[in-house]
Amino acid sequence: MTKANDAASAPGEPTKRLSPLAATVIAIAAIVLVLVCLFPFAWMALSSIKKLAELFTVPPHWLPSDPTLANYGTVFFTSNIPRYFLNSCIIAAGATIVALALAIFAAYGFARFEFPGKPILQSFVLVGQLLPTAAIIVPLFITLRWMHLINTYWGLILVYTIITLPLSVWMLTSYMRGIPTELEEAAVIDGASRLGVLFRITLPLAVPGVVAVAVFSFVTCWNEYVFALVFAQDQTVKTLPIGLTEFSTEFNTDWGGVMAASMVMTVPVVLLFLAFQKLFVGGLTAGATKG
Amino acid sequence: MTRPMVGIYFILPATLVLLALIAYPVVYTVLLSTQDAHGHFTGRNYLNVLRLPATRQAFLNLLYYVVVSIVFQLVIGTLVAILLNQKFPGRGVVRSVTLIPWVVPGIVAATTWAWMFHTDFGIINYMLVEAHIIAKPVGWLTDSRTVLPTLVAINVWKGFPFVTVMVLAGLQAIPADLYEAAKVDGASFWEEQWHITLPQVRPVLVAVTLLLLIWGINGITLIYAITRGGPANLSLITPIQIYQLAFESFQFNEAAALSVLLFIVAAIIVAIYLRVIPSSRGDAR
Repeated sequence: MTKANDAASAPGEPTKRLSPLAATVIAIAAIVLVLVCLFPFAWMALSSIKKLAELFTVPPHWLPSDPTLANYGTVFFTSNIPRYFLNSCIIAAGATIVALALAIFAAYGFARFEFPGKPILQSFVLVGQLLPTAAIIVPLFITLRWMHLINTYWGLILVYTIITLPLSVWMLTSYMRGIPTELEEAAVIDGASRLGVLFRITLPLAVPGVVAVAVFSFVTCWNEYVFALVFAQDQTVKTLPIGLTEFSTEFNTDWGGVMAASMVMTVPVVLLFLAFQKLFVGGLTAGATKG
Repeated sequence: MTRPMVGIYFILPATLVLLALIAYPVVYTVLLSTQDAHGHFTGRNYLNVLRLPATRQAFLNLLYYVVVSIVFQLVIGTLVAILLNQKFPGRGVVRSVTLIPWVVPGIVAATTWAWMFHTDFGIINYMLVEAHIIAKPVGWLTDSRTVLPTLVAINVWKGFPFVTVMVLAGLQAIPADLYEAAKVDGASFWEEQWHITLPQVRPVLVAVTLLLLIWGINGITLIYAITRGGPANLSLITPIQIYQLAFESFQFNEAAALSVLLFIVAAIIVAIYLRVIPSSRGDAR
């Protein structure tokens, strides 16, 4: 599964020497690519330290003439963002843990056993990815309302499990398939129980896959907007994406505040992602490149 | 393995949770769509929804948004993957940076681009006017001719890195001797890409397109956060229409009917796609 990881020595590398022309083309393309990817964030960061008046100047200033942290002050001390930050952490972590706890067993079952109905069950897990969010939002709302779970942490955690569980099972199954079975078979012969094998042998070997899945789940929940819009209408459970929209009213948007809050929301995700990038990309691509 | 049924116990908890959270709501949606507000059986919800002029427009918009986005995401994503598979200094950093648009929250991308596309104070109008590409500021997100293409552009920016990651992984799995053989035959760079790279990554592209298709049909966040379907329904897509029917007009039954219709259309599109494309999947390997 580590195809993406050993990039330096991958078999697919073109090995020929580059002509000066090709090198120039590559350099220009790479610079354009980086600019296109990063420009919005640079602009977001610059806008977040501009005063309101400077945000609304024509023509716009590239660099703030009088940098200010006032927008961050608003975000941290007079808005609800700190509370939403906490809510986002709790809900994303909760949904990640619930999905992982279920997915570890399911992935082990799919990766190691043959049983009747397995193909159907496996495709059923994938159907979770196929369903239009909009198509299940109404009955989910009615059901959660009936269970008094609207505006609770558990309500959102359950709903987010719909998104994270199928992907977690899918990614972990392909990861566990890549782990050799010899050690497990030896342990079974020595009389270890199946659960013992899973927890003492397979799971420790699958840690990179588990981490990749956890990061992926966490980031997905952290970023989710539509379900949060419906199921978290109260300040005690609202998440950061909803908080971002609170800087806009129908007639007016506090663009400085929005940009500062966007920074607060984006930086943790980007750091998390960069820290686990290799695991993350490896886990993501393992399923697809193996078909 | 001696006792095959053991596997079932392992997958049972996850399956039950998914049944409760996915299968049950789907059945419930179908049920809701055939009832009136008092729980009596009726086919009226479907008729009402189909009769709305917005329904047709939202569906056409959705089709345009999804298809055009996917075409550009695939082309740009693949070209970038080919670029990132070349050897050049700083490649690792560029690879990381390329993924960032895909990782950031959709709502953040939406608000940042909305600010950059702002008619009066947006940096994009400023740059384009300064470069004499446009004569005067364009109302990108308010003009009927530009609103959907602009949203597609933002969506392409957000989605192409995913194609790049997947295709890059596929590229790295291609055996080097294929390229060497081509070089012996005197193939040019683009001939190599066309005759070797593309057929080799075709299975990856098939899988990625399917995911993009599903995510595209699902995707509410960008459009809802930027325009809410406006101006005058010009960027309204079916998922947003469902959301508005249910949670702004509180017509749960009609929203359910529209959900069922969207689900059927999505299933048909996915089924057609799966039938037409993968026939060549086996021989591509």
